[in-house]
Order: sequence, then structure tokens, then C-alpha cells
Amino acid sequence: MLKRVNKSPFTAVAGSEKPSVIACMNRNPALAWMFLWCLSAALMLGFLPRMAMAGSLSSYDLALADAQSKQEPEEDYYEDEMIEDVSDPLEPFNRAMFVFNDKLYFWVLKPVARVYNEILPEPLRLSFKNFFLNLLTPVRAVNCLLQGKPDAFATELGRFVINTTMGVYGFGDAASVCFDIRRKDEDLGQTLGVYGAGPGVYICWPVFGPSNIRDTIGMVGDGFLNPLYFWPQESAYRIGISGFKVVNGTSLELGEYESIKKAAIDPYVAVRDGYQQYRKNKIKE
Amino acid sequence: MSACLVFLLSSFFSSPVWAGELIDKVKETTDKIIAIVSNPEMKKAEKAAERKRLIREAIDERFDWDEMAKRTLARHWAGRSDAEKKEFVALFGKLLERTYLDKVEGYSGEKVNYEDETIDGQYGTVKVGIITTQDKSISVFYRLKKIGSDWFVYDISIEGVSLINNYRNQFNSIITKSSFQNLMERLKSNVEEGK
Repeated sequence: MLKRVNKSPFTAVAGSEKPSVIACMNRNPALAWMFLWCLSAALMLGFLPRMAMAGSLSSYDLALADAQSKQEPEEDYYEDEMIEDVSDPLEPFNRAMFVFNDKLYFWVLKPVARVYNEILPEPLRLSFKNFFLNLLTPVRAVNCLLQGKPDAFATELGRFVINTTMGVYGFGDAASVCFDIRRKDEDLGQTLGVYGAGPGVYICWPVFGPSNIRDTIGMVGDGFLNPLYFWPQESAYRIGISGFKVVNGTSLELGEYESIKKAAIDPYVAVRDGYQQYRKNKIKE
Repeated sequence: MSACLVFLLSSFFSSPVWAGELIDKVKETTDKIIAIVSNPEMKKAEKAAERKRLIREAIDERFDWDEMAKRTLARHWAGRSDAEKKEFVALFGKLLERTYLDKVEGYSGEKVNYEDETIDGQYGTVKVGIITTQDKSISVFYRLKKIGSDWFVYDISIEGVSLINNYRNQFNSIITKSSFQNLMERLKSNVEEGK
């Protein structure tokens, strides 16, 4: 479920109505590229000092954790267990949006995805998913570079070549199946995190689901690298393609959200915490 | 060039054979459960109750419900009366058991690779990679604690999301916003509904 929510932001940018500045960039891809590079350069410069701070902080945390595991007093050991440090001043709004998304899933998305499920066999649906993932190679590759991971960048490039040729336009994930070369899931939100940006205020967006300030900025930035953002020109087609992508993705993950919800005592907090933990881990990787 | 290297390395290390004390423990339990859920005989409707019981036995052997309950209540644990502690452990154990049961009952031939283990004093971790039938790889960490001479699981992390952390934050949010009693009521109704 988290994965789904994570990916859908790309479609969001592609599908939604854009403010005029962005529309202008849409007409001129070079502008968008320049904007992205300026943004990333500014962020790198701005976050370098913080990165140094984060580095020293984490080693301090490690030392602390180490000391704790060695002392370990009997009962009050459990008092030291970490309670999430998520900032959620928008909770009333977020909870309302959570309910909205919940209804959207059960009343619209799920019924549509189930019918779709009946019509198309799983291998075909998987190959559509592969195709869309292959299209997003620029997003992953650029973020590998921005994070200073040349090997991961090479992997993404290699995967793109293999999957576009052997995998026939990306419909097959030949790189994974034949060579066990796995996708490197990097995005701008993670890149910002690597450079020391904290998550900021938690936001549950209508339609797009759980996010935070950092990942929302990342999602918008990554949108400029999504080929669906430049092509096709007609926004009706783009919305259609994005909708298809969401339904296809959902059809492969039916039941995942349900099981998270069933296991939770407070589903809103469960998803909020799950999202934060998941992203934290992604950044660490 | 780099891509070639990555390819060579990844094919070389694609199926590492790790073995160790902790991996053996986790593998033993996992194999037991996989044997039960993939036994065609056990899939018959009249065997459903027995199948559930066998899985439950296998999980109970390796999971430390007490430890899990204490860790999820964390700083709210010490202030509880003995009766409250007992009731909470029983309820939360049921919830976890059911959640885990739901997960393993959906087993459909996923591959489990045991990738690594680390031991630090009386705590240990086992890293497992699960390859789903859709060929998606999911990383899972089991956290174990040594009690006596045996090891017991007290937390599972899936893709970086720790089960215990997740419940701890839910419970903390409920207790601080309303009360422990409210948490118990909600736990009870969840366990009842999920039966």
C-alpha cells in the first residue's frame, strides 16, 4: 500500500491542472531542467552544513544506543523505547483526508480495479506496470547521481537498456528476471533526506495519500523528469494514462491496504507511522 | 563498465548460503509453517481449524508475546496494575497472532532467502529476503532476544517498518489522547471482529 501511495505522486503531477509557471516549463522542457538543476544545487549547498550535523548526530545516537543495550536496567528498559517524533499539527485535516482516501479506495478505486482484474490476466497487468516503471528511469537515475551513487546510476542505465531492448519497450523486466539486476528506488524526497533535510510536517494529501513537506517537494521536482509530463501534449490523454496506471497498480495490490487496516487499532496513526518509518529506511539505504 | 561489474557481482552473490545459530532458529519455524500451509491435505475445508492450530503452535514456539507487549506499551507499561498487564498481554498476543496468521495463510510459493545474522550480547537480528510471486523483493528483519539458552522473536520489520514501533505509536497516541481503558476497548473490539 505504501508503495502504491509512493508511486502515485508522479501521476499526480502529470495529470493535474498546473499553475502557470509550471505550464510555461511544460512548453519548454529545457526550462524545467534548468529549474531542477538550480533547485538541486541550491539544496545541496543549503543542506551540506546540516548533513554534517546529521552525521555527527547519528554517531552520537549510535553511541547512546550502544550504551543503553549494555546497561539495560530491568523494567524501565521499556521506558526508553522510542516514541515517534512525527510532527503532525495538521492532524484534524489529515484525518479528514485519510477518511476521504479510504472512501475513495473502497467506493471507486477498488471496484474499478476488481473489474479490471477480471478482464486482464496478471502477467499482462505486471507488464504494464513494468512499462510505467521503465519510463520513470530518469527520475531514479538522476536521483542516484544526486545522491552520489554512481554504481546505482549505472545499474539504472543498464536496466533501462536491457529492459527497453530485451524487455521489449520495458514491458518485461528482463534485467531482474534474467540477470537479477534490481531496481534502485531513488527519488528526490530521499535525495533531500540524504542531504540532511528532515521530513517536516506530515501531510495526508487527498488522492495521493501520506507524505510530508520534504517528500511533497520531492514529488513535484521528480514530476519534471516524468516523461508523461511532457508527452502526450493533450492533457486529456495524460489524465487517461495516469488513471490507467493507478488502476493497473491498484489491481496488483488489492488486499494490501485492507490487511494493514485490519491489523491496526488506529489505522490513521498506523499509516502515518508506517510511512515515516518506510521513508526513513529508504533514505538510509 | 560499472554496470558489467554490478551484473557480475550480483549474479555471483545472488543466492548466498548463510548459516548460523539465529538463522537456523528462524528457518526452522518458517519451514514448519510453510510445510503446513503448502500441504494440500491441510487445505481441505474440514481441516481449517487444525491447520490454524498447527500454525499457531509453530508461531508460539518462537514468538515472545510478553516481550512484544511490554515494548509496545513502553513508558505506559510501568504504571499498569498486574491485572491490566495480564489482560493487555493476552489481548495483544491474540491480535499479533491473528495478524501473522492472516499473512502466512496467504502463502503462495514465495521464496525465502536467509541473508545475514548479527548477534550483540543477548540481542540478535536475522535478515531475510522474500521474493514474491510477482518477483518483487521484500526485505524482512527478525529481532530476537536470548532467554535462557534459546532465542525468541520480539519484533519483525518489513521494508523498514517495525511492527512493534508501529503499534507503540498507535497505542501511545490513543493513551495520551484518551485513556488506557479506551485502548483496551478498541483492542477488544478489533480482536472480536477479526475472528
